[in-house]
Amino acid sequence: MIQLFHVSKEYPGDAPALQDVTLSIEKGEFVFLTGASGAGKSTLLKLIFCEEAATSGQLLLFGRNVAKIAPRSIPYLRRNIGVVFQDFKLLPRRTVAENVALPLEVQAMPVRDIRRKVKLLLRSVGLEHRAGKFPPSLSGGEQQRVAVVRALAADPALLLADEPTGNLDPERTIEVMELLTAANARGTTVLVATHDRSILERYKRRVVTLERGRLVSDGDSIRRVAGDRP
Amino acid sequence: MRLRPIYFTRQALDGMRRGPYVALVGMGTIFVALFATGLLAGALGGAERLLQAWAGEVRISAYLAPGTDLGAAQKAVAAAAPGREVRVVPAVAALRQLSEELGDQAHVLDGVGPGVVPDAVDVLAPGISLEGARALAERLRAVPGVAEVDYGNAWLEKLEALVARARVAAIVLFAVLALATAVLVGNTLRLAVFARREEIEILKLVGATDGFVSTPFLIEGLLQGLGGAALSIAALLGAHAVLVPRLRESVPLAAALRLGDTLPSALLLGLLAGGAAVGLLGSALAVVRTLRRS
Repeated sequence: MIQLFHVSKEYPGDAPALQDVTLSIEKGEFVFLTGASGAGKSTLLKLIFCEEAATSGQLLLFGRNVAKIAPRSIPYLRRNIGVVFQDFKLLPRRTVAENVALPLEVQAMPVRDIRRKVKLLLRSVGLEHRAGKFPPSLSGGEQQRVAVVRALAADPALLLADEPTGNLDPERTIEVMELLTAANARGTTVLVATHDRSILERYKRRVVTLERGRLVSDGDSIRRVAGDRP
Repeated sequence: MRLRPIYFTRQALDGMRRGPYVALVGMGTIFVALFATGLLAGALGGAERLLQAWAGEVRISAYLAPGTDLGAAQKAVAAAAPGREVRVVPAVAALRQLSEELGDQAHVLDGVGPGVVPDAVDVLAPGISLEGARALAERLRAVPGVAEVDYGNAWLEKLEALVARARVAAIVLFAVLALATAVLVGNTLRLAVFARREEIEILKLVGATDGFVSTPFLIEGLLQGLGGAALSIAALLGAHAVLVPRLRESVPLAAALRLGDTLPSALLLGLLAGGAAVGLLGSALAVVRTLRRS
């Protein structure tokens, strides 16, 4: 699904954000990407999402070399990827239902099908009654659930989540994580960037650790997260 | 990208509803530019119509040197102006006409004999162009016994030169206004696009193509252009309704002025098309710049 070979990313005038990262994520995996702030987690997600290009190395996504994909084809590639952010990135002036409908509208799904699917999606996260509300009137947990169902609306093969629980209390954190694990159980490959150790402890999944842009560990154990020296 | 005109138009209208001030500023800018252009074009059209009206009433007078045989002069003038009506105006008749025109002030002519005013031969030349009048005057000047020819050329040539200059000025003004308006509308719409950069970012996150993102903005620009043009047309029609009757009161020739002279349908359609083009160009400039940076 995702393969990185000696990938580096540098920004002019800054220390390298990523250095010589080699990593492979298989279809259907659930992987945590962890590390301290500035370790390069978000940069890695941006490269996978084709928001930025690697300075060197190669990144293969769905078997395609990202560097060789024409810019006009990137939107079509992104339709296979759902993205969730810490700050939800919901459109405040569109209703909850309209926000969830966005990926489906982009893919030109018929309006009737969009309405039906949005209703089902919102029902699946217990937010059907909030469909006509605007995001600012929702709690943080509700907003993130909306963001997750929007990311999953078009049934993407890959779900990227960048600190999806960063703004949530423990109870809401579990709600959102349950949505991500449920998506993974349905076959979606999930990559979650987080520095929340409690999540890593609760969900025993593969953990990839970055430190100052370098991949320092890759395995199943929570003991191998950033800051813990083997 | 699939063509979905209803979806994109609804998105554009939603955008305008959410940012009404930006939409109004864009529309207002286009309105001012098109109104100024239309006003100038309308004034030019009116001036040209007045020139034509003058040509319909034109009379060219050939004043004769003292002692010239009036009958011979009439024949010679008629030969120089084939197909035109030629009238002899003896000095006595001219004095009588002048006296009638002076009315209460006619006493100023007391003691003035017919020898002071020359005999004349008038050529009536309805519908003649200014160039034709000029050429005819030249031929009349060559007629033996003709001392002077008058066809009101002094003010007419000034008016014609003024109209010609105004026409060039209108073209330059239109080009400058169109460019300035496109830049202004572009900047205004850039604000609209900037205000919605988060929306653009999110649309791109969910896989929207540049076409999908930019189409509503282009439609928005088009609608603003059409709106501004429609307002300017309404204002121009209003100005015509108010100004032309007043002009008719002070300039009798203006009685010939019709709506089609000042604001012909070609001009109104041109303003509509110009507004649409400027709105579209402005929004294209704005959205392309923003997408290039996102």
